Amino acid sequence: MFRKILFGTCISLVAFTGTVSADSDTKVALVPGGPHPYFTAWEQAGKDAAKDFGLASADYKVPQKWELGAQNQLLESLVTQGYNAFLVFPGDPVGTVGIVDELVGTGAVAMALAGCLRDPSEAVFCMGTDTGNSAYLGTQELLESLGGGEGKKIVHFTGFLVDANTKLRIDAVEQAASEAGAEVIQVIADIDAPEPAEEKINAYLAAHADEVDGIITTAWVPAVVAANALRKIGDKRIKMVGIDHDEVLLQAVKDGFVHGTMLQNPYGQGYIGSFAADKLRQGCTIKADAPFKSNALTDKFIDSGTVFAGVDEVDDYVTSMQSITKTLFESFESTYLDC
Amino acid sequence: MNNFGSTQSPSQDVGILDDETSPAPGSGRLTQQLRRLLLSNEFGLLALIIIFSIIFAIVTPGFTSSFSLFAMGRTAAVNIIIGFSMMVVIVSGGLNLSVGSIGVCVAMGGGWLMQVAGFPWYLGVVGALALGAMIGALNGVLIVKTGLHSFIITLATMSIFFGVMIFLTQAGSFRELPPEYVTFGRMKINGVVSPLLIVTLVVGVILAVFFKLTTAGRRLLAAGANPDAAELSGIRVDRTIILCHAMSGVLAGIAGLMLVSRTGAAIPSMAGQLGQDWLLPAFLGPVLGGTLLTGGRASVLGTLLGAFLVTLLTTGLLLLQVGAFWVQTCLGLLLLAAVLIDLLRRSYLARHNLI
Repeated sequence: MFRKILFGTCISLVAFTGTVSADSDTKVALVPGGPHPYFTAWEQAGKDAAKDFGLASADYKVPQKWELGAQNQLLESLVTQGYNAFLVFPGDPVGTVGIVDELVGTGAVAMALAGCLRDPSEAVFCMGTDTGNSAYLGTQELLESLGGGEGKKIVHFTGFLVDANTKLRIDAVEQAASEAGAEVIQVIADIDAPEPAEEKINAYLAAHADEVDGIITTAWVPAVVAANALRKIGDKRIKMVGIDHDEVLLQAVKDGFVHGTMLQNPYGQGYIGSFAADKLRQGCTIKADAPFKSNALTDKFIDSGTVFAGVDEVDDYVTSMQSITKTLFESFESTYLDC
Repeated sequence: MNNFGSTQSPSQDVGILDDETSPAPGSGRLTQQLRRLLLSNEFGLLALIIIFSIIFAIVTPGFTSSFSLFAMGRTAAVNIIIGFSMMVVIVSGGLNLSVGSIGVCVAMGGGWLMQVAGFPWYLGVVGALALGAMIGALNGVLIVKTGLHSFIITLATMSIFFGVMIFLTQAGSFRELPPEYVTFGRMKINGVVSPLLIVTLVVGVILAVFFKLTTAGRRLLAAGANPDAAELSGIRVDRTIILCHAMSGVLAGIAGLMLVSRTGAAIPSMAGQLGQDWLLPAFLGPVLGGTLLTGGRASVLGTLLGAFLVTLLTTGLLLLQVGAFWVQTCLGLLLLAAVLIDLLRRSYLARHNLI
């Protein structure tokens, strides 16, 4: 269903822009750091981009496990297989710089997707969610649902500490809470995997649910596990704002166990990233005055967008994301590229 | 492979690098050597490497390209050293689960020495390896003093070492490293050979000489085969345990520093959470290569070939575009096939009175 809607989105994007180019020899590889549901939208995004822009291919290639070495080995094998454009979620913001530089050294185009490399690197840019901003806005939504933050106690469930985005999220939640007079009484990190998330979130809520007014989650798996935990507890007193678009989470929003979720735009990243990679291979260059944003890792950041979806928006969340993708795509070439 | 089902006892292998078989009556020296060669794990692994190389070269375009060969050699270089770091402990009858953790600690220590302390790269490397030796020796001391199995001790120190490293570095990385050091990991000799592979071969030769020709090496093998007998014969088994763990620390450190040179930065996540990403390559090389888990026998060449075979299979499967989630399954099936082929080889030799 989701894929069909995204496909429709894509068709409408192409219809809007009329940007179907001639056949190209661009072979795009979309490579996440490892298996994770967040990235699955890249697969359809690549297929759609290949079809819409006439690319030789745009394939989703997943390292079999979350290991920097496994990702490096996969990327090296993809060069051998003739891929000449790489959209990579860095296994490590610093450790992946070397392999990306080597990929570019083979004549390929490379960009960081969904997560950034630490400057300097040969990646043309980084396109992903402004994670700090997303966490900040999500926390504000949570505190608003609690009737204001003064004196409220919230907990934060988040991803792996070795992911640079995690620190940004922790700081952003802390900032939004302190600005509203709320207190982050616990941050539980390193739980963006089912087993540790189940263990730690359930244990925490079993012992401290009475002390908690709200939950903010800033990683996919903790959001799903926390939503399930609140459903089991059955107490809608605790408000929660999650992240991403897992069906479990969306249903929990509909049923009132979760206040809402901060949507990201992985499809837009893969689709627009593939488009940009092909354009760059055809001779376009990055504009000298391209309005890149800055974050903690890079000065070449493009925000792929984020939006809050509460109970009133959750049924129509794809439209919200369509809107963001469409807006970004419409102006992407004129804003960032010299062709 | 031996290992793949050998019934030899550890004591039969004390102090040797190759399988010893009783000479058949009347057979000549040359025939004996040929038999020994055909029976060796090293020959079996080499044959498998050649067979799979030919298969991959035929069915996967690009397998023999210079980039592919370079990348495969560079990956194998690190995996082989990781295998060595486990092998030197397995020889003693123990295990070292903290190889990855030590490797990252050494890498981060080297990064700190080069970037923050301003050491030239060669002093940074020496200092970092000294750190590896100390950390490894600490494992050995704890094992000797407590009398607990190395599995327990190194399981605990794996977390301790990694935790201390994360605390000291605040999960930060070092990337302002001397250019000549970083260039080394990306250099190509004749467009194909990584200098890291040469480092690995040099380390392998040193280890082979150590086990074959030095008293310390032979004592280590003897202590691993039968600690009580070794103790009675005057060998200080506790010292050999500390020695082998110190060596393991140095070797893990070499692997860590090779990765730093290859990635251009020292990063806490280079071996995964707690260094666990290294455990599989650490065991695969030695076990496939003929190092007995019960101790007393080491095969440097076998470990090298075993680790290379795994790297070769992984690369070949990736190039075959086997679905990402099937790579591990196919790798396991191929390794099982490798075991069975080795058994068939032995069976064939036996049936034809070649052994």
